[in-house]
Amino acid sequence: MKISVNTEIALTYLSSRKKQTVVAAMGVMFGISMFIFMQSLMKGTNDYFEKSSFSTTAHIRLYSENKVADAHMLNSYLKDNSTKILTNPKQLQQSLGLTNPYGIIQNIRKNPQVVAVTPQVTTNVIYASGSVNINGTVAGVNIDEEDKMFDVQGNMKEGDLHDLNRVNNGLLIGKGIADKLSLHVGDNITVRAGSGSPMIMRVIGIYATTIKQIDETKSYANIVQAQNLLGKDRSYVTDIKINLADYNNAPKVARDMETITGYKAEDWVQSNEQLKAAFKIRAIILNSVIGVILLVAGFGIYNILNMTIYEKIKEIAILKATGFPGNSVISIFLQQAVYIGLMGGVIGVIVGFLITFMVSKIYIGAGTLKYLPMSFYIPHYIEAVCFGILTTIAAGFFPARKASKVDPVTIIRG
Amino acid sequence: MENIALKTTNITKYFHDPVTIPVLKNINLEVKKGEFVSIVGKSGCGKSTLLYVLSTMDRDYEGVLEINGVQATGQSLNSLAAIRNESIGFVFQFHYLLPDFSCLKNVMIPALKLGKFSPKEVEARAYEKLKMFGVEELALKKANKLSGGQQQRVAIARALINDPAIIMGDEPTGNLDSKNTGIVFDLFQKLSHEYGQTLITVTHDEDFAKRSDRIVEMADGEITNHGHR
Ligand SMILES: Nc1ncnc2c1ncn2[C@@H]1O[C@H](COP(=O)(O)OP(=O)(O)O)[C@@H](O)[C@H]1O
Ligand SMILES: [Mg+2]
Repeated sequence: MKISVNTEIALTYLSSRKKQTVVAAMGVMFGISMFIFMQSLMKGTNDYFEKSSFSTTAHIRLYSENKVADAHMLNSYLKDNSTKILTNPKQLQQSLGLTNPYGIIQNIRKNPQVVAVTPQVTTNVIYASGSVNINGTVAGVNIDEEDKMFDVQGNMKEGDLHDLNRVNNGLLIGKGIADKLSLHVGDNITVRAGSGSPMIMRVIGIYATTIKQIDETKSYANIVQAQNLLGKDRSYVTDIKINLADYNNAPKVARDMETITGYKAEDWVQSNEQLKAAFKIRAIILNSVIGVILLVAGFGIYNILNMTIYEKIKEIAILKATGFPGNSVISIFLQQAVYIGLMGGVIGVIVGFLITFMVSKIYIGAGTLKYLPMSFYIPHYIEAVCFGILTTIAAGFFPARKASKVDPVTIIRG
Repeated sequence: MENIALKTTNITKYFHDPVTIPVLKNINLEVKKGEFVSIVGKSGCGKSTLLYVLSTMDRDYEGVLEINGVQATGQSLNSLAAIRNESIGFVFQFHYLLPDFSCLKNVMIPALKLGKFSPKEVEARAYEKLKMFGVEELALKKANKLSGGQQQRVAIARALINDPAIIMGDEPTGNLDSKNTGIVFDLFQKLSHEYGQTLITVTHDEDFAKRSDRIVEMADGEITNHGHR
């Protein structure tokens, strides 16, 4: 391989001051490994929270929302073109059920992005056992589809969730409810929904999620049981839950569904605003930390090159006197920066991976979170190297340009 | 005209520190190709200053400098660097080698920059030049491990590596004993007479000056004797 004179000179300078070179490369290595570690931790955490939020929230939930009264009825009644004034409009109670839910579901399934759709009947209830009453909600579901979307099986503590399909009046209750009413699988529980009459149901299973509030209120019933509970017919559906192949498309798909169906389609971003805010805050913290680290690493390179130039000013003058033009001098010093950056970058990627790997093995055991969530995501490593090289080039450029401006006569004349 | 290697027209230069004084006054110098010229004069009369102007490194002067019939005055830094690399070999008063590199590399670097020969050939040529001055056994030593006289000989070898049309030396034998001064002189003479290279040397050595083709005398920034015979 033929290396250019500039490269040869750059390498000689680097190797003739090994200590400073190594220190500068360590700075870059530190910056890059921290970059990788922090990115992996953040993505891991974000993924974890996203995943755990999807264990209770569908990507999109379609339901009927109450609307503010408008002039619609007035217009159809008073067909003249008089001006209608509506003072103090109020929310109008809409029927909670969706009209023609199975038609809507069929429509939704036509969207190629949709991977799962399930109808649901949600209602507020009062649970009673002995003399104790507690408030809660019953979700009437198709348990197989529900399990596919939210991994109910993974949360099961006792019993078999498929019994919802087999046992008449079966109810799968949260652990909080079971504790408060001291219920076990096989016990009876009285459930009353708003206006309907009380119904005695059988506990067929107990589940526990990571969210206490859910465990203390929510239970699952077969959708038909929930309809019975409310005294409604088989076409009564309050919610349609939809999962997509890529949840990032949820907001856009939800808007489309709103226009097609006329119902409210809430995407997971809307129902998890605090999650998004947390992501944003974490990203800001992370980026400022990374910025500072890279700045320090860059300053290290800037410093070492500035010192080199100060010490080698006579030699730069000689090189120029023997015919090296300014851009060769830039190349000599910029190459030194790049090699320091590359050295630090390669080691930084390895160290960053090792730190990430080791931290991912640290046991924390908080709730369902056993280990720190770390992601191993190749683009982080590529980004880290790109950032590292950009920083070194930026840090090396100014000293290099300074070197190229050295006037050989002034130096040689002494 | 085409046998003129170097020509100056009314070159005048001032130093402004601490006060503005002229160091070179209306220098009109013509050196033929293959000529071996010595510049002599009292210390401080402006010899080094003139040589830096002639070498194209110093661009801060009035007047016109022509090298091989091409006007150097007003050219860009890059093209002047290219002219120096290819056509001018310079031996500095204080030798100035690159201390981190071996003697061999020091000699090779201007040739590697020029890129006319492959690195292998350049190395062979560099050895040859070092041999001419009897320092080939120092080739792989680091430049900062050498004595002043040895460094000066390596520096002369470096000035010759690209077979430059013009070789300039600022007291190139200042650090050498009479034996080595003799070797350098003989070689310079051979370069000018046999290979047609032009030599312009500033010297304090009267013998050295007398044996060259022409002596240019300077005093107070002016040429007082062009030495034409
Ligand atoms: N950088 C400078 N600033 C001001 N005056 C200088 C500078 N360098 C040299 N001189 C002055 O210019 C004159 C010529 O210097 P120089 O060319 O080195 O003389 P020589 O080489 O003939 O001994 C001297 O009087 C010297 O003091
Ligand atoms: Mg001098």
